[in-house]
Amino acid sequence: MHSNAYTFGFAAIICAVCGIVVAGSAVSLKDRQDANVRLDKQKKVLSVAGLLTDDEDVTPDEVQKRFTGNIQIKVVDLKTGGYATEVDATTFDQSKASKDPARSAVAPKNKAKVLRLPNRATVYHVVKDGELVMLVLPVEGKGLWSTLYGYLALEKDGNTIAGLTFYQHGETPGLGGEVDNEKWKALWKGRKAFKDGKPFIKVIKGQAGPVAEAPYEVDGLSGATLTARGVTNLIQFWLGGNGFGPYLNKMKSLAKMKGA
Amino acid sequence: MQWLRKILDKVGKDFQHGGKLEKFHAVYDMQDTVLFTTADTTKSGSHVRDGMDLKRMMVTVVVAMLPAVAMALYNTGYQSNLAIAAGAHALDAWQEAVFAALGLGYDPTNLLSNLVHGAVWFIPIFAVTAIAGGIVETVTAVIRGHEVNEGFLVTMFLIPLITPATVPLWQIFVATVFGVLIGKEIFGGTGFNILNPALVARAFLFFAYPAEISGDKVWIAADLTGVDGLSGATWLSRASSAGMGPEGLGNLDLMDAFLGFIPGSMGETSALACLIGAVILIATGIGSWRTMAGVGIGTIALSMLLNAVGSETNPFFAVPFYYHMVLGGWALGTVFMATEPVTSPFTDTGKLIYGFLIGVLVVLVRVVNPAYPEGMMLAILFMNMFAPLIDYFFIQANIKRRAARYA
Amino acid sequence: MAAKTKEILLDPLFTNNPIALQVLGVCSALAVTTKMETSVVMALAVIAVTALSNLSISAIRNYIPSSIRIIVQLTIIASLVIVTDQVLKAFMYDVSKQLSVFVGLIITNCIVMGRAEAFAMQNPPMASLFDGIGNGMGYGLVLLVVGFFRELFGSGRLFGAQVFSLASEGGWYTPNGLMVLAPSAFFLIATFIWVLRTYKPEQVEED
Repeated sequence: MHSNAYTFGFAAIICAVCGIVVAGSAVSLKDRQDANVRLDKQKKVLSVAGLLTDDEDVTPDEVQKRFTGNIQIKVVDLKTGGYATEVDATTFDQSKASKDPARSAVAPKNKAKVLRLPNRATVYHVVKDGELVMLVLPVEGKGLWSTLYGYLALEKDGNTIAGLTFYQHGETPGLGGEVDNEKWKALWKGRKAFKDGKPFIKVIKGQAGPVAEAPYEVDGLSGATLTARGVTNLIQFWLGGNGFGPYLNKMKSLAKMKGA
Repeated sequence: MQWLRKILDKVGKDFQHGGKLEKFHAVYDMQDTVLFTTADTTKSGSHVRDGMDLKRMMVTVVVAMLPAVAMALYNTGYQSNLAIAAGAHALDAWQEAVFAALGLGYDPTNLLSNLVHGAVWFIPIFAVTAIAGGIVETVTAVIRGHEVNEGFLVTMFLIPLITPATVPLWQIFVATVFGVLIGKEIFGGTGFNILNPALVARAFLFFAYPAEISGDKVWIAADLTGVDGLSGATWLSRASSAGMGPEGLGNLDLMDAFLGFIPGSMGETSALACLIGAVILIATGIGSWRTMAGVGIGTIALSMLLNAVGSETNPFFAVPFYYHMVLGGWALGTVFMATEPVTSPFTDTGKLIYGFLIGVLVVLVRVVNPAYPEGMMLAILFMNMFAPLIDYFFIQANIKRRAARYA
Repeated sequence: MAAKTKEILLDPLFTNNPIALQVLGVCSALAVTTKMETSVVMALAVIAVTALSNLSISAIRNYIPSSIRIIVQLTIIASLVIVTDQVLKAFMYDVSKQLSVFVGLIITNCIVMGRAEAFAMQNPPMASLFDGIGNGMGYGLVLLVVGFFRELFGSGRLFGAQVFSLASEGGWYTPNGLMVLAPSAFFLIATFIWVLRTYKPEQVEED
């Protein structure tokens, strides 16, 4: 048997050694980890903007280069629709902001089942030769089983859809999980998000036909009515008055002024 | 028939103990007992493995299923002909080529056309099920060195009855192999299984290839694209999706649903056919009336409770119990699958409780779960697992009671 | 010594497999085996943790007061797991994202604790190291087998490369959705155990 003093002493030494090892690894690897998180986000944005394809194998430097070369991060005040210049866009974390009571509020009851709404949200501008060509908006909402997280890309008119990608969800593989199907995702391109100023795009049951015939409708997912309904709800929510509606209205009138 | 007996006896020598084909005795015995009454019998339930009257029991169940099989043939053809008469196209499949070659036409009022059209879809699935199951049964029997028993007979009929007509045949093959192997053989074969093998096969299809066994494209063997006003969905999924509830079922003729003239898995649509089967099973003492009554009581109890509670967001709450009983797999499951003796409890009270909980679970899955408009398969499989526990509980209670009586 | 080392190292693969015979660590085997890539990384992570925890606990085994030995083992294992998690996040971010909490949950993997308590507390460091590697490999083997079938049949791929051309893209293979769901790992592990015990009947428990 060991004395109590020995036991306490031993425990203290073990704690100290383990503490140093854990803390050491956490501190020394932090920069790398942060870089990874940033890189991951950049990849997703680049991919929905069509600047990076899934089967492309690119170095982190290349991703960084494409991102800084083509994309500007903006933070938008969701209520006013104006840019929130007081926040540093590069470090703004929307999902953290949604959890912080000071920077977010309980969302009004909505079909997308979004519970908390941040006061400000990130928007990515895709820029080419100094001109804005595309907007990338983060979207999220309930599907059948899980919350879907993704990005919706709009042309600079704020109305034509350029792409939709979900990067995280837990829907049934083969049914709702088909939201990841490249063919289905391609169907969104070119369709119109708004009709008479209201978000109107929706996933229907059955087939919608080509863009010219059905500008506001996208093919349903066979056997996944509820996931499809969830996608409709979440897109309409984030395009609506509680989501990016005010911001997109500003962008639209801006585009009109420029066009005129 | 003497000559056949002689041939079998002559060939049989090789298969007997010590013969050169001893290993394949199972195969010989299977043929022999199908053709002639077996020499030795014992009297007991299917859980006794050498119960040779198992065959008669299984055959009775199959006889009880024949009305459902007949309706499966008729209704599969009828639904398909009906859709095609309304403007749908025949599916691009070899089955349809066969039917077209027969020249009967797509006439929903023609009994023969309906039956044959149903048969071209039903028979291939039945054949594939029989082949797949036969292979697994024979191989395991040869490996284990016992006779091929009749356990698969009922499963072979059930699988085509609980699948839609349009399931690809290779999927039926894979699912049957899975159902028999994982549902039964892995536990030691007929009499040792915890789960109903036919339902295991269906559950496999349901989770492995959901696109072919859910949604609104698979239940009618016809291509409905571009036909307005015609839905290929089952009534249960119509009631659960689009938030229609009982109003959506307003268009449904309750008599049609009872007789079985609605889209669905091939053999599950007709409650009447299952009712006839139930009468046969109860009269012969093979199917337990307690289990069936339990399912009925459970379904009625929970659906009436949900009717009373009501829900603003889920109109399915308001669907009355009699719809639950004529739609989906309720009738078929109650009569032929919940009562399966191996996977349900042995105690009498246990059977009532077991049935009751199946009834409750069906309604729960159908109404409350957002994804599965049908719940019979999941309810029965789930309760299968609890059957031994229910038995244990009642047997222990009996022991205690008797101990108290003689104490 | 050489023969004994080999035995310690290779026994856990088939004769005394932690998952198949001891039925330990099944939880993570269900969760991370939808793909080969995650299976391999998870296997390596567990091998690293079992090996290092066995080594370090064995090295100080004569000094650990027996009254607090479980807590000491736990502290060492937890620290190793956290370090492993940090390393994965820094160097294999994509995979670590897919493994999510399951790297952290190696702490609760009974194999690690079990080997520390059952082997490392009684045996010298080198033997313990090999025992840790062996048991990690035994766990990893099952993970690889399960991951192989789940990825191949569930999505027609191996290590992310398309092996079967998919029906949705004009090929012939219809992915088996069941394989993507966690219960399929149960079926596969059960089949693995079935095959193993048919091959080695001495592993069948007596009633």
